[in-house]
Amino acid sequence: MTVDFMPLSAKIETIDRTVEDNHVFTFRLGRPLPVAPGQFIEVSLAGLGAFPVTACGMVSDTAIPSCIRRAGRVTEGLYQLRVGDTVGVRGPFGNGFPLEHFWGKDALLIAGGLGMAPLRGLLHALLERRDEAGEIVLLYGSREPETLLFRDELESFERQGLIRLDFTVDFVSEVPWTPGSFVCKVGMVNELLQGLRIDPTRTVAAVCGPPALYGCVLEELASLGIPPERIFATLERRMKCGVGECCHCVTGGTFICRQGPVFSLAELRNIEGAI
Amino acid sequence: MAGHTYRKGFEKALVEHLHRDGQLWGVAVDDDGVARLRPATTAFELGSTKLPLIPPKKILLPPREAMWHLPPDGAYREPEIQNDKTVLLGILPCDLYALWYLDRVFAEDSSYLKRRQKLVLVGTMCQPSEQCFCPPHASPPPFDLFLAEGCVWAGSSLGQSCLADLADHLDMSESRPLPAELTAGKSDAAPEDLERLFLESRHRPLWKNEAQRCLSCGACSAVCPTCYCYDVVDSAGLDGGVTRQREWDNCFFRNHALVAGGHNFRPDRAERLRFRFEHKYLGFGEMRGEQSCVGCGRCVSACPVDIDLSSLLNRLCGVIQ
Repeated sequence: MTVDFMPLSAKIETIDRTVEDNHVFTFRLGRPLPVAPGQFIEVSLAGLGAFPVTACGMVSDTAIPSCIRRAGRVTEGLYQLRVGDTVGVRGPFGNGFPLEHFWGKDALLIAGGLGMAPLRGLLHALLERRDEAGEIVLLYGSREPETLLFRDELESFERQGLIRLDFTVDFVSEVPWTPGSFVCKVGMVNELLQGLRIDPTRTVAAVCGPPALYGCVLEELASLGIPPERIFATLERRMKCGVGECCHCVTGGTFICRQGPVFSLAELRNIEGAI
Repeated sequence: MAGHTYRKGFEKALVEHLHRDGQLWGVAVDDDGVARLRPATTAFELGSTKLPLIPPKKILLPPREAMWHLPPDGAYREPEIQNDKTVLLGILPCDLYALWYLDRVFAEDSSYLKRRQKLVLVGTMCQPSEQCFCPPHASPPPFDLFLAEGCVWAGSSLGQSCLADLADHLDMSESRPLPAELTAGKSDAAPEDLERLFLESRHRPLWKNEAQRCLSCGACSAVCPTCYCYDVVDSAGLDGGVTRQREWDNCFFRNHALVAGGHNFRPDRAERLRFRFEHKYLGFGEMRGEQSCVGCGRCVSACPVDIDLSSLLNRLCGVIQ
């Protein structure tokens, strides 16, 4: 099989602007593009460039939902576009979360900041076959309550008894407290692990967040007794080509784009500089 | 692989024969003393070839090449790749081995393959320089024809049909095997436990000490026959059309591993030097464990501050302190 770099044209179908600078775009393609949870696509704006991003929910035939932070030159360009405008999409690239590990087990999902986006894709996949998954626990840390992504949806999943949910934020700005306002813990997301009730022998973990999160959380999960082969994390690197050529994402000799971006802790321990 | 002794006049006849197939390229030394690989005429003499400053990778991976073009209000267009054959004359064994490495890295890349299929390689034996340090190889590199010691070998069907056409210039009565070593084999193979030594060296001062001199100029990677990393850059035309291009990048540049949001995964020169060393001696991805350095010595010649990866290898392995 040969690879080229021709993008598919995609129309911006919806833009959800609930969280400032973390809008959720839905891209509608002319043909189905199967993007599994954890896999990524390259979204392209002609004249500006492209960036790698995961789907933040289930990809239903030709529509890809994606939560995209306004973080650089190309995403800034995307934020200038409107519904109906066209972008380019290449992919899918890499290996997603190995869903087969999750069925029949409890799932522990740990998200930091924008790391909630790929984990929401995984969460939706698990909820689609809810009966085949065990207990689903989501620990989610963000800078402040206003930056929590998909907050209403996640709270509704919790109310329906579909998941156990624990939020934490670094800073609280919703003060003074008034009746009915949002209540959550304050602190780093790894602190949510303390006192957490899980059965490590039947738990599969998935972690996504900034590099600092991996440094403190992954080995802590292993010390709780979850086997390192069942602790998964997805790595963010500079991915330009997506196919293991351009070398920007290489970490410890591994192409994160093609051999990852999802790895087990057992694998990550053998990739120098991965965590 | 059987080779045949050739008679006087064969080299000239060969060049003229190949000229009918496509554009000839050969190495010429310019007035500034720099050897360059560039278009050649049928007057090109095969015998006196030198290592060009920029290796043949520039033919297969042009310094800047289109990935697609989007005309105004149009549909994405695939890049146009020239359909003519390119005949590289007098390519030295180290550069042939480097092409073999690139062939495997870009085995699925459509633009690379289109160019590679149009490439005719005529190799010749080298005169080792003071700065080269080629490792031993287990098998010969790819070539269509290879000339050494008055003898010619065909390494492809194109090469064979070429020799059949020029049979008048060959002595077919005897055949000689390809020399076991095409390179001078001036350095040993990297040690088998290099992976371990490399991993253990992460915090050793050797990287930092050496990198202190590094200017991050990237000359070493630009002239390296197996450095191929690229950046992706858009350029907009005055008509509103956009061309996406890939262009040579450099792992010594500070933003090579920088992601949006400002995190840099290789923020200092020592890590970037170690990264390049890792690619040259250990390889990335499926090529892990295979040395990509062919020992041509270009990086040593090009480095303005005398950084020498082969000497770093020796220090890492404890050969020298």
